Amino acid sequence: MGPVELLHMSVFSQSFSPCGRFLAAGNNYGEIAVFSLSAALSPDASEASQKPILNFTAHDGPVFSLLSTDTHLLSAGNGEISAWSWAELIKKSTKAAWSRKPSYETSLEIPEINAMIINPKDNSLIVGGGDNNIHIMDMETGTFKSVLKGHTDYIHCLCFKEREGEILSGGEDGAVRIWDSRTNRPVHCIEVFKYEECARPQFGKWISCLATDSDWMLCGGGPSLSLWHLRSMSPTSVFPLPGCQREAVFYQDLIMSVGEGPHVSHCLHGGTVKAQIPCTPSSLNTLALNLKNTEHRVMTVGGSSHQIDVFTNFSYRAFSLSF
Amino acid sequence: MSIKFFRIVQLAYWRMGSITDDEVIRKRLLIDGDGAGDDRRINVLMKSFTKWCHSNFSPEEGLSQYQRMLTSLAQCEFSMGKTLLVYDMNLKEMENYEEIYADIEKSITSAHDKIAECKKEIQRAKRIRKNRQEYDALARVIKQHPDRHETLKQLEALDKELQQLSHIKENVEDKLELRKKQFHVLLTTIQELQQTLENDEKMESEDTQESLMENGD
Repeated sequence: MGPVELLHMSVFSQSFSPCGRFLAAGNNYGEIAVFSLSAALSPDASEASQKPILNFTAHDGPVFSLLSTDTHLLSAGNGEISAWSWAELIKKSTKAAWSRKPSYETSLEIPEINAMIINPKDNSLIVGGGDNNIHIMDMETGTFKSVLKGHTDYIHCLCFKEREGEILSGGEDGAVRIWDSRTNRPVHCIEVFKYEECARPQFGKWISCLATDSDWMLCGGGPSLSLWHLRSMSPTSVFPLPGCQREAVFYQDLIMSVGEGPHVSHCLHGGTVKAQIPCTPSSLNTLALNLKNTEHRVMTVGGSSHQIDVFTNFSYRAFSLSF
Repeated sequence: MSIKFFRIVQLAYWRMGSITDDEVIRKRLLIDGDGAGDDRRINVLMKSFTKWCHSNFSPEEGLSQYQRMLTSLAQCEFSMGKTLLVYDMNLKEMENYEEIYADIEKSITSAHDKIAECKKEIQRAKRIRKNRQEYDALARVIKQHPDRHETLKQLEALDKELQQLSHIKENVEDKLELRKKQFHVLLTTIQELQQTLENDEKMESEDTQESLMENGD
């Protein structure tokens, strides 16, 4: 990979292995790189341990979304979902376990897949992408059982509320739609850009990040990142972050979000920005927390750079992995 | 003397195949640096004692030699006593260090426990902070809406007004009905009176016509 390609690389997605010792990252060239966290975090780590143990081309187009189940790594790019077994990846074998495509209405253009989540209750994969619809696939049989239609523009992000079994989806049309996963019907539709306190018309109305924590929901993108109380469907706090946020998560009592700007923002539920931690990429696309493994409890962020920053203590950058 | 010993030790180690020369020299000199003096003194004492016993000295020389031997014997005894005391001191120091070691071990474990406790506390405090923040956020939203008492009072006032107005409407309607009826009665009596007046006129005109006709016959 030449220096020019490295310069133009963007990391779009990340996922930790089920054991928590490996990190998979997908970039805009369609490659997936697997990094060994135990090697990179060990006391005698060297330059070589910050390079991937395996780097292969998984898709023709950019890998927009990565998801780990208990045994497999699912990756999605231009309309196709591929599954790779983690055990095989650790042994450096790059043969896909299976590869499927949701049934699209038009066969001319294959829309990209932007977000994938798993519904643990009925073991189904929920996929949202460029054709404005949400497809639900049963993981055991591999058939696409239903389609949720309602968005008028492509879907950026998906989220799942475990307690009520509801799917939340945010899209380019500025609406956050809430669907019931059992009946597959839309329950609510929140148009964030219509609320004055959140709307930022100079950026647009698209919603690119969603996160939920039982009764609360974070959403942001064109409109400012805001915390919503879902029972009353009202925005409770708006965070004064300058750029557009691409991913946000709830962690203990904090909210961490990344987006435009070379920093990770730590915010409190009340609406104050507690800290902004600087990092190497000039703008960030993805943030992942490794909570499954207590030894390698790290946060990794990736964005417009071939380097992925690793934070062992969430308050400062420890080192960077590079493609 | 010490160099000879060093050579013996070096040979021994070479036979065993371990440690370098420098280490051996260093260690030997460190340990035995002072001891070489004592060793030499004892040997010198022995030699001078045997010489003193076997040779014929003049009484003054013999006495001075004897004095010299006594002093060197005293020196040897002194250095032996010193080394015994040092040995005791080392033993006591070792005990002291063992105690301190045990103490430090204990405090390490207690510090570990305290750290674990504090971590739990932090988690609790974080949860509490999160809950407070959520509460504040919701409270802010709720405050934006008007007070429940106010709205209830407004509703009550409106209700009362509504009742009053309907009451008034009823009254007005009743009055209207009454007036209608009264006018109706008035009009009917007028009409009847008109009828009776017409009837009377007709009867009067009929009477005059009859009387004219009778007069004409």
